Amino acid sequence: MRNSILSLRGITFSYHQEDPRVIRNLSLEIPEGQITAILGPNGTGKTTLLHLMLGLLKPASGQILLAGKHHSEYSRRELSRILGLVPQFESIPFNFTVLEYVLLGRSPYLKPFQTPGPEDIKLAREALEAAGVLHLRQKPVTELSGGERQLCHLARALAQQTEILLLDEPTAHLDLENQSRILRLLRKMSGRGISVVLTTHDPNAAVFAAENFVLVDKGDIFAEGELDQVINAQNLSTMYNTPIRVEKVNGLTMVIMDKQK
Amino acid sequence: MKAGSYSRFLWMLGFGVVVIFLVSIFIGRYPEPYWMPPGTLFRDSLAQKLVLNLRLPRLVIALLLGMVLSGAGAVMQMIFRNPLVEPGFLGVTQGAAFGAAISILWLGRHPLIIELTATFFGLLGLFLSYWLSRKIRFGGWVLRLVLSGIAVSALFSAGVGVLKYLADPLTELPDLTFWLLGGLWSVTWRDVIYVLPFALLGIIVPLAMRWRVNLLSLNDETAYSLGASATRERLILLFAAVSATAALTAISGIIGWVGLIIPHIARRLFGASADKSVPVAMLLGGVFTVISDDLARSVLPGEIPLGILTSAFGALLFIYLMINVGMQVRHEE
Repeated sequence: MRNSILSLRGITFSYHQEDPRVIRNLSLEIPEGQITAILGPNGTGKTTLLHLMLGLLKPASGQILLAGKHHSEYSRRELSRILGLVPQFESIPFNFTVLEYVLLGRSPYLKPFQTPGPEDIKLAREALEAAGVLHLRQKPVTELSGGERQLCHLARALAQQTEILLLDEPTAHLDLENQSRILRLLRKMSGRGISVVLTTHDPNAAVFAAENFVLVDKGDIFAEGELDQVINAQNLSTMYNTPIRVEKVNGLTMVIMDKQK
Repeated sequence: MKAGSYSRFLWMLGFGVVVIFLVSIFIGRYPEPYWMPPGTLFRDSLAQKLVLNLRLPRLVIALLLGMVLSGAGAVMQMIFRNPLVEPGFLGVTQGAAFGAAISILWLGRHPLIIELTATFFGLLGLFLSYWLSRKIRFGGWVLRLVLSGIAVSALFSAGVGVLKYLADPLTELPDLTFWLLGGLWSVTWRDVIYVLPFALLGIIVPLAMRWRVNLLSLNDETAYSLGASATRERLILLFAAVSATAALTAISGIIGWVGLIIPHIARRLFGASADKSVPVAMLLGGVFTVISDDLARSVLPGEIPLGILTSAFGALLFIYLMINVGMQVRHEE
């Protein structure tokens, strides 16, 4: 396994005392420069894990190490230059143009009273180009389709130029074409050395993009490792509590719900 | 409008503000209705006194009032992610009204005391709303503050009702009612000096942080991931905007609709990004209140309360925008 860029060690967390959504003594290594998919049923704490990695939530106990240093050793500005986030729902109530919106990704590099300059605009345009949506730059964000919007959210995170990208359900509610655009783009970014962590409830999306897999169930790690170690019928059937088959077709792994049983 | 034309427009608007301000010096009811020929200023010592001691301080306050209310409205609509929010929101206006009413009834009707109590209760409205929002156990930051603001405003508004009921109908009630209608007839240089530090705070802070206001309109987790300390930055902006609003409301009474409608027009001209819409809203707001006040003091022999005029113009503009242009109040979830 490669060097880990992000380590969670013995993490315990709950939102409040009687909350059933609890993470207990969880440890996890995120490898550098790879795509890690966190899979699990709805409501098992995938988003909570991402927010812990981001530093938005603080664990009750345990350590989160970022490139070997404790989270708290970084300033907020330093953290936002290392970790980018594309949340599952991003409401944008005002009609920013796509370019204005993507420029917000430059904020970790701007002083409190500074506005973006020509260099920031250049980098935002490059991010839009990488995401394949430069042609939309003058369009209001609120007029985009679901797929275009998700690509713009990604472009905003790319303009942030972080080493790690955290994505919460990046392909949820998208058609197959847009799913494939997003996942291919993530693979391209991973090829450039960016470490990607994505959550999904769709095993096929995870198999399509990721090299490293983490199955999470009820706030605990159920299985962890490479494709063949983790994505099998027994693991998935137990975790999703429904019969599931995993087939290899021409070298491609496919996860299917089993109709027979 | 294209981005390139923005700075030219801003310069033109700034120039327009100066011209309208200078022209307004000659608008009024002396020596004859509507217009004082500029030459009068050199001959008539009463005209000189009138301009220097009454019209100039009044114009300065009208300008500051429009700039502060519109800037505060533009910022608050963004950070509350709600295009129907205005600075009176969060219990500030009703708190100030309650403070002024207490002063008119029981603390003597000295202008300075009215201003101090109105500012105090306006800020108290903000702190109560904020305190209450922290006690609510459900919902996000925006929802909790909105609910608290509604509740605190309603309480102060009920308090104003009680004080009106208690007021002497021959002496205190007319004063109170006229204060509540809003107007600048009693403004002096002393008021300008009193309000200037607050007003500058309410203008400079939103201008300096105008680009970051965009960040604060995003989800909390996105703003966090982009390095913003969302709660702290929102509080700084709110404190600056709201304390300036409270101090000016203490002098002017309730001036409605400026902070709601002007930011809409500013966003329609140059798009939603606050680095453009906040400066444009401030300048437009200044022009709007200066012109409204020109009309308030010149059209009729008696004064028309400024609050009535701004509400009438504001509501008409609002209706026009809704019917003809389609307002940008789309809410995306």
